[in-house]
Amino acid sequence: MRLSFNWKWGTWKSGKWKWEPAMRLLHFGLLRCAALLVPGNRRAEWSREWQGELWHVRQACAPAGCTGWRGELEVTQFCLGAFQDALCLRRTGPQPKQAFAAMEGTARQCILILVAILAASDGIALLLPGVRAELMLWPRKVNPNLVLIRGQGSDYDSLPSISSAQFRSWTARKQKYFDGFAFYRVTRESVEPGWVPGERPDRSNWGVAHASSNTFALLGLPVRFAEPGRSTEGDLPEVILGEAVWKRHFGAEPRVAGVVMRMGTQMVRIAGVVPDGSLGLPGRVDAWLLEPDSAMGTGGDGYVIAHLTPMGKAEMWAPCVKITANGPDESEDDLLGVSLEEWRPAPETLYGFALFLALLALPAITSVSLGEASANPQKTSWGRRIFRWSFLSAKIALLLPIVYLVSLDLAYGFTTFGRERAVYIQLISTFLMCLFGLRWVLKDQRQRCPVCMRCVTHPAHVGQASRTFLDWNGTEMMCMGGHTLLHVPSLPTSWFSTQRWLYLDTSWGFLFAGSTRQIP
Amino acid sequence: MAREPRPSETKLSHTAALILQALDAGFVYGFSIMEMTGLPSGTVYPAMRRLERDELIRSNWEKQSIADAEQRPTRKYYKLTAAGKTTLEASRRRYPLLERLIPTEEARTV
Repeated sequence: MRLSFNWKWGTWKSGKWKWEPAMRLLHFGLLRCAALLVPGNRRAEWSREWQGELWHVRQACAPAGCTGWRGELEVTQFCLGAFQDALCLRRTGPQPKQAFAAMEGTARQCILILVAILAASDGIALLLPGVRAELMLWPRKVNPNLVLIRGQGSDYDSLPSISSAQFRSWTARKQKYFDGFAFYRVTRESVEPGWVPGERPDRSNWGVAHASSNTFALLGLPVRFAEPGRSTEGDLPEVILGEAVWKRHFGAEPRVAGVVMRMGTQMVRIAGVVPDGSLGLPGRVDAWLLEPDSAMGTGGDGYVIAHLTPMGKAEMWAPCVKITANGPDESEDDLLGVSLEEWRPAPETLYGFALFLALLALPAITSVSLGEASANPQKTSWGRRIFRWSFLSAKIALLLPIVYLVSLDLAYGFTTFGRERAVYIQLISTFLMCLFGLRWVLKDQRQRCPVCMRCVTHPAHVGQASRTFLDWNGTEMMCMGGHTLLHVPSLPTSWFSTQRWLYLDTSWGFLFAGSTRQIP
Repeated sequence: MAREPRPSETKLSHTAALILQALDAGFVYGFSIMEMTGLPSGTVYPAMRRLERDELIRSNWEKQSIADAEQRPTRKYYKLTAAGKTTLEASRRRYPLLERLIPTEEARTV
């Protein structure tokens, strides 16, 4: 019910009582506020009565055009009494606990719970940096036809195994299978990110990747906040920050490009920001220090990223292939080329695959029947049947994004798992949640009264297990609205294989007196 | 086992009895009862809700056409039920001054 402020009741005479409209507005506002305290089902009538009474009170106490605060004060006191009346109605009306109890088992409650879980999982996903990086903001895919070259002897991708001398010898020669190389090695360095001359420096230890200057061009990864036209202030080396340190030390400031800071023994200029770890590249990197190829001669082993020529792509028949390369001393080195495209499947792809597996496995753990065969179409209107199917669809539609978000929370919420394990965690968790989630959806649907869509309750075991083949043995549940009884056989037999609904006529009404509810 | 008290046995507060007496005297809507009894709106309306809940009074809306003809909003009228009349009789015995405060002769046409 909307309270409308009717200006035609009484006329405002300019110059005599100029505050009358303001007072009318005040009284209208008071009644409107008090109406909020009244239970929703009685609010409309309550507002209508008080609005009507207010008109009469105004006529008696403060007729239009009359001056004086006394009359307005009386009208205001009358309106303030509305709050006591509203509170009285609230106390005598249905209490929140009763209202909650009335909602128990309803389709609305089920949908509200699922929506709450969806909102919670979405909120958690947005709070966890790893999950947020997967979901939004950062591009996940690097350029196609990229491989990570590593030594065959190293069991783990995370171990650096290519020397800078090897890298230089490869770049110096024209290659048949590769047309671009980038090299990086990771060292721990002391960094003063927020250093201001004259103040005590704020030092921290970062994993710094000394990378060849073409690294990001080769990866095809856009650098956020980069300013291509910016002058290179005094030829300072450029550093690209990882997302985590950008947030931790620079407060996620978008105008971070151009800031000069000390890294190790040299001053560097920040050129932009890139995501953490979502590139599928090994090594824990907080910042990328771009160096010319000539500066790559020093330092230990690192990682090489190479771009495949069409011929190289044709030879890349598996995600991981053996490569024989000539070393700087003309020796032949056996290496491995690992495709960066195949490094990690996209979360959506994994999700779809796990969902497909769950759908295949579902009939093994539950019946896919909804028990509709025993529902009497004559006693269930088309509207109710459409509502029943819409409810099932809504449950599935809410379950699927919940599973996706929760699986991402589990897989990428904890950085200690590592990216490779995250893939398996997401796959397994998605499969299990889809499987048991869909099982719950079907089971819940089977146990909802076809008339009012409430869950049937009060299970009672009827019969004896030893008499299964002579008599009926199973569980009976009833709809608390008094509409139906549900018979579920303990052991499906040829004459009673699936659950059956028994529609209760009005003669059962006395059993449900006071609890029979209207069909929502 | 406690039994429900009969309407005639229902003990009303003085305020509730006063409102019943006002209704019986012909003051049939909230504001007129307020004027007659001198009670504030925050007392009269909640008391009438409780009396209506206990089925001592009942309410009905006047016809929209009447209100439209008089260019005013419709109002809700209250009326004593049979149980209300019985209870009022019991209350009069309990509060002898009730009839003197609001004599039934003062009933006016609304």
